Amino acid sequence: MPTSSLCCEGFLGQAKTTSVGLGYPNLALATVPGHVDVQTSDELRANVLGTTVEHVIRNLTGEVAAVQAAADPEPDEIVFEGSFEEVNRLFLENGWSDGLPIVPPTKEKIAEFLAFTDLPSDHAIGKLLPDNRFATVWNVAVNGVMAGCRPEYMPILVALVEAMADPQYGVEHSGNTPGAETLIVLNGPLIKQLRFNYEQGALRDGFQPNTSIGRFWRLYLRNVAGFLLHLNDKGTFGNTWRVVLAENEDSLAKMKWPTVAADMGAPPGESAVTISRFTGGNVIVSVFGDSAEKVLPYLGNALVTHSGWELIFTVGMATGTYRPLLVLSPLIAETIAKTMTKQEVQNWLYENARMPAHLFEKYLWGWTNLVPGKRTLNDWVRLGKIPKAFAGNDPNRLVPVVTRPEHIMIAVSGDPLRSNCYLFVHNGMLGFPTTRTVKLPQEWRSKLRDAQM
Amino acid sequence: MAQRNSNDYAVVWPRSAKAVEIKPLAKRLDTVDGKTIAFLWDDLFRGDEIWPILKQELSRRYAGLNFIDHDAFGSTHGDEEHRVLSELPDKIKSMKIDAVVSGMGC
Repeated sequence: MPTSSLCCEGFLGQAKTTSVGLGYPNLALATVPGHVDVQTSDELRANVLGTTVEHVIRNLTGEVAAVQAAADPEPDEIVFEGSFEEVNRLFLENGWSDGLPIVPPTKEKIAEFLAFTDLPSDHAIGKLLPDNRFATVWNVAVNGVMAGCRPEYMPILVALVEAMADPQYGVEHSGNTPGAETLIVLNGPLIKQLRFNYEQGALRDGFQPNTSIGRFWRLYLRNVAGFLLHLNDKGTFGNTWRVVLAENEDSLAKMKWPTVAADMGAPPGESAVTISRFTGGNVIVSVFGDSAEKVLPYLGNALVTHSGWELIFTVGMATGTYRPLLVLSPLIAETIAKTMTKQEVQNWLYENARMPAHLFEKYLWGWTNLVPGKRTLNDWVRLGKIPKAFAGNDPNRLVPVVTRPEHIMIAVSGDPLRSNCYLFVHNGMLGFPTTRTVKLPQEWRSKLRDAQM
Repeated sequence: MAQRNSNDYAVVWPRSAKAVEIKPLAKRLDTVDGKTIAFLWDDLFRGDEIWPILKQELSRRYAGLNFIDHDAFGSTHGDEEHRVLSELPDKIKSMKIDAVVSGMGC
């Protein structure tokens, strides 16, 4: 089927590299000059008539450019021998590193990682767009070595890549222009067994498992999925990877609150990772009060004020895919838990963290060129996309920011004796929360004991 | 850590094999005259303004064109994108479509 794919000028580079991953390196592209968002209607029309139409006709009727496949090394092929500095220079020059020194991925070091999984090294976990390369146990180990992980982190790394390869997550969108970054939430016995930080400074680098596994995530996106800046990663600004957030499960057990993994359906007693991409977030500082009813308004207000245009940028909120994450310090969580379950907190926030319908609709289509048809909240209710709580005739009526109470994710971590919280938000369209249980190898305990000696 | 010849490291490639072979593009049209052209849209970046301009100009230049609008397929981006994309081959075949124009990459 002859095709023509329309791209703004600034996206032609990404379109060309993505086309390679799809197996069509000569995919026919039609240029839309400049960026449509800042063009008047007359300018847009002139650009489409002056350039795009000609490209479309050429794409559909012209000659197809010849292409040739590039030869890649075999997975276990030694591609270079040299000093630490020479190896690092090679990896930087080829775009295989993030700019920090990497641990050289030698076969001996990789074997140490492979000893911590029962899967064969050539096991294909999945395929990762946009480069469309195989995610294998072998290259999980390679990138784990490079990131500075310890071999015993391997079961978590494999689970993370399983989640990354899940179509539900949508890894192919990881290079979007807002530069959203993945947050990994860890639950289960591995938090303590591998000595993750889950208390003060839980989101700061400084602890090897939290930091190196976060780095692994982005190295893997780079080397296997193919997200490189100036190519497939189009983050306008972007930011460095997020360290792994481990929950404080002692606090959760005391409150009898489920973990994030349990909320996502992971079996009890097992470790699990939950990944989600967030555009941004903020710290909620000095929450004050000795009861749930005094504390919750702070959290509800933060949820509403951060579900704003600059971070949500419209498209996902009303279609049931917006999943903000509140991270409560144990101090605040336990204050609330004196009288409320986690589910009751989610229900309270659903009922009370609300914004005027006219503001929500402004976010949905008033300020955007993104959603066609200028559908009102009532339209979305009629289409069955959102619940009846959003319907009504009064533009000042208060409506929820999510479509279901359980869509407000809640984690417990951070300094146990501080009254601060944190909120992560996104636009609901990218990086849907995805959970995988961590499968441990046979003789895990003895292997771990030996590794930690 | 593996060290050969003093401080040397023998390292492997951190990437992996492609999961897809290069495929040939479909034969292009002999002419646009009389063809059925479908539009696919991700509901983004002013496609709703661009499609009418394209349709108008293509119709001015070529005779007997038939267009199938993006509504017939759904949005190729967002909460329903996997379903929309998986349904495309059958829809394209059943609608006897000759060519597809897709947007907006921006």
